[in-house]
Amino acid sequence: MSQHLSSQQISQWMIGERTPQQEQHVGECSQCGAEVARMEAALGLFRGSVRHWSDLQVRVPRPLAPGPRPHPVRWALAAAALLVLAAVPVYRSAQDRQRQAEIARADALLLEQVDAEVSRAVPRPMEPLVKLVSWDFSSTGERDENRRDTSPKEEIR
Amino acid sequence: MIAAVERSASEIDDLDTLVRLYWPRVFRFALASLRDPDAAGSVAQDCFLRAYRSRERFRGDCSIQSWLMRIAVNLIRDYARSRRLQFWKRAPAFPVDLETVGQWIPDGGASPESRAMAQEQLAAVWKAAGSLSERQRTVFLLRFVEDMDLLEIAAATGMQEGTVKVHLFRALQAVRERIGRWE
Repeated sequence: MSQHLSSQQISQWMIGERTPQQEQHVGECSQCGAEVARMEAALGLFRGSVRHWSDLQVRVPRPLAPGPRPHPVRWALAAAALLVLAAVPVYRSAQDRQRQAEIARADALLLEQVDAEVSRAVPRPMEPLVKLVSWDFSSTGERDENRRDTSPKEEIR
Repeated sequence: MIAAVERSASEIDDLDTLVRLYWPRVFRFALASLRDPDAAGSVAQDCFLRAYRSRERFRGDCSIQSWLMRIAVNLIRDYARSRRLQFWKRAPAFPVDLETVGQWIPDGGASPESRAMAQEQLAAVWKAAGSLSERQRTVFLLRFVEDMDLLEIAAATGMQEGTVKVHLFRALQAVRERIGRWE
């Protein structure tokens, strides 16, 4: 092949359609070789500039799809955790009420014991002495008690 | 083959992986097609949402990339049509500054003259790509930016392989004609 490649043949060459004779000619002919190289260089520059511009502009987004649905077990665990969290204040409240009731019962018992001590006729340590004296308070009352107080004196006289 | 299909189906179910692997490519194609980063982001997002919602219909008879690109091609076409309507409402059609984009040249230690010539060529390709028809631009970008072969482009666009060749040939002719003005 001695003729130079036509404009159409060079375009076909760029598409990839080329005969062995054309390949041989382009390899040997500096003019056709330069024309093919010039075209390839221009397209290469274009490719590079597009990619460069795109690299500057591109922003790969975060995932677009909704995430996977939580497994039912996870839902159950989450619900259980919520229940536990909700039950803690209730349990603490019940404990407080029980503790306050116990304190109130203890206070009432203490008060009863204090009342009992206060209402005693004689202090507890003197109770054995009272038992040794055979005074009869049941039939005479207060006046008899006064009279008895004097009777020992009379007996002394 | 069955294993490959099952693997593809499982990959589609995992949207996170799908986005991580293919978002940059879909975004890039949308950006090159629409030349508007905001619009490209919207198209990419719609593309992945649509893909995820219709993942049951993916049969695995093409690659995931081709499948996603096919969705993107349809979305870009719809968006471009609505934008043409906006054009008549005097809305900006191409927010991208072609002069700025055309300035990008890899730092290869070239001489100032070579860099200037390369910048001119690059700007010419950008302008030529912008002047292509919708189908020509789509196949041109899929072939020369995304490095997809003709069969993949056919799968992504729904065209026959021969039709893809025709559009690609015409696109290249237009680009060559535009570059030729800078000789």
